[in-house]
Amino acid sequence: MKKRIYILLFMFPLSLLANLNIAVTYPYIGALTKTIGGDKVDTVVLAKGNWDPHFVIPRPSLIAKARNADALIINGGQLEIGWLPPLISRASNPKININSKTFLDLSRHVELLQKPLNVDRAGGDVHPDGNPHFHLDPNNILILAGVIKDFLISIDSENKGVYEKNFSDFSGMWKVKLGMWKIKMANNRGVKIVQYHNVMAYFNHAYGLISIATIEPLPGIPPSSRHTIHLIDLIKEQKPCCILHDVYHSTKTAEFLKEKTGIKIILMPHDLGALDEVEDLVSLFDYLSGAL
Amino acid sequence: MKKILVITALCASLSLAGQNSSGSFDQSKFIPDISLIIDMSYVNTNVTNDDLDNNEPTSNYGDYGTFKEFNTDNGFNLNYAELALHSNADQAFELDGVFHFNPEGVEVEEAYFTTKALAYNLRAKGGKFKSDFGRLNNQHQHIWDFADAPLVYNSFLSPEGLNAPGAQLQWLVPTPWYMKLGFEMLQSGNGGTYGNDFDKKDGESLYIGYLKNSFDINDASVLLGLSYVNGTSNIIDEDGTSLYKGNSEIYGADVSVKNYFDSYSYINWQSEFLYRQMKSDDTTLYADKEQSGYYTQLVYQVAENYKTGLRYEGFLKKSNGAKISVDASYKTSEFAQLRLQYSHDDAFKQNGNYKAINEIIFELTFAIGAHGAHSF
Repeated sequence: MKKRIYILLFMFPLSLLANLNIAVTYPYIGALTKTIGGDKVDTVVLAKGNWDPHFVIPRPSLIAKARNADALIINGGQLEIGWLPPLISRASNPKININSKTFLDLSRHVELLQKPLNVDRAGGDVHPDGNPHFHLDPNNILILAGVIKDFLISIDSENKGVYEKNFSDFSGMWKVKLGMWKIKMANNRGVKIVQYHNVMAYFNHAYGLISIATIEPLPGIPPSSRHTIHLIDLIKEQKPCCILHDVYHSTKTAEFLKEKTGIKIILMPHDLGALDEVEDLVSLFDYLSGAL
Repeated sequence: MKKILVITALCASLSLAGQNSSGSFDQSKFIPDISLIIDMSYVNTNVTNDDLDNNEPTSNYGDYGTFKEFNTDNGFNLNYAELALHSNADQAFELDGVFHFNPEGVEVEEAYFTTKALAYNLRAKGGKFKSDFGRLNNQHQHIWDFADAPLVYNSFLSPEGLNAPGAQLQWLVPTPWYMKLGFEMLQSGNGGTYGNDFDKKDGESLYIGYLKNSFDINDASVLLGLSYVNGTSNIIDEDGTSLYKGNSEIYGADVSVKNYFDSYSYINWQSEFLYRQMKSDDTTLYADKEQSGYYTQLVYQVAENYKTGLRYEGFLKKSNGAKISVDASYKTSEFAQLRLQYSHDDAFKQNGNYKAINEIIFELTFAIGAHGAHSF
């Protein structure tokens, strides 16, 4: 009996060989990959959707997850720089090495906003390649779906037809949704907002919201009292509609600002699973476009 | 006038040279990741370094060896300026070099290659590197939870840890949880248990093996490790006369439970137990053939910037003497840390009597440049 359990244990990874086993860093990439790959792929998502994407905890269990992946898809734009490199190195799996054919960096395929001209750590923990939260522009989701389709075909040309059909189904559905979100957000063009960290940059860009300040004084640096006092004056003067707050930072400073200025706080999910209601890509943007 | 001409000519040639290097044969994109980490401290303690050097052979600090690697002097210390270089060498190898500059000179802390294209989840390493023995041995000082290493590490593995030229092979076992099996052969004579005979270590090796496991329970990661090292202890006095020679083994067991509350805060309980057996019949240097020591620590990362820890440690068999340390650190960013540590140690024996050591360390650590992320 015991022996049989052991055999089952070691057979388990083999049974996955039937499908492509694709590791991805964030839940939204997992959802896109599953949509395009359908039943030809299995996805393993490394990060949790309700925690900070910059500070994913590099638990050894993630190494075990990446160990037998056939491919790895990452967000890129240095979003994973603080946690992924040692996992790749320790997984001892040549298929997920950077520059291998089965490694995909999505940031190489979209245009990044806010690329800094000068990079200096006195300016905080800036992303030198530009703002990496590009998936929050729903127009980019369509581009990324196409990139993932091409990637899957490049490593598994046998199922090309499946991937193309899934992409075309998704693309048709998504275009309809894009139209709906555009109408929903039309009245919000030009509205001023405050954020904790500039996570919503691409969403703002897509729908014409104007981010006037962040609660953190510099990227990656926790709130300071001096900066918070400055924010109170700024909010009183410019009258932004609301604070679009991520779900993973403490809202303590935001609550203080609300108390002093009466500004509204709106929690904005950044990925699937960030809030219970956000289960898939459509519900993510349904939620975001309805939040204001 | 002549001067101006010369300067003009120099500028022209420089700009020409600049053009060459940034043109057809530009290699500037191939610069490896370079970082500099500087660690400094102010120390206040009630014992002198002479006291520490002359601790008795039977004291709990082990029987031989210098006492510590960092924060050695009362007053100001520049512990090190660590220059670290890292890059892929090619599609098959990565290369790492870590150099410690300190007032005494430069030390090659680590210099090794790592494979990145082996099949079957195998990974090999070669060069001079920190062994993966135990939980702490392969960690660099700047990521330690305390300013100093546990006493049992200093005593059994030497203040520099198991760090010597050698080869390593690791295998990720295909289990649903994380399991890593590793073997290493290191050149002997790196201090601690395995002696100070750096000149006569021809062909003598340390054999090291370990098994590491990890799995998650909700938001907690559990780590369980077993380690073993076997080699010849070779200890000589100042004139080169052999004081002790014989086979020695060290067994290690470590456990850690790290529970995350969110992306920024966690509580980590970590403990390690080391047991040493020295097999020579020679009793002149070592009174006890068997020794064991331990530490247990609780670290609470309160928020992104604040961390505090409590550590209790000691040795078995010799006495009940123990050391207790408490520290708190604050980071202005990921690249600058201030730490204050207090420790009280009554495991130290001098002139036949136990003497309490009280120590306060105020330590600053800075990092600039491109420094790779750390593993769990």
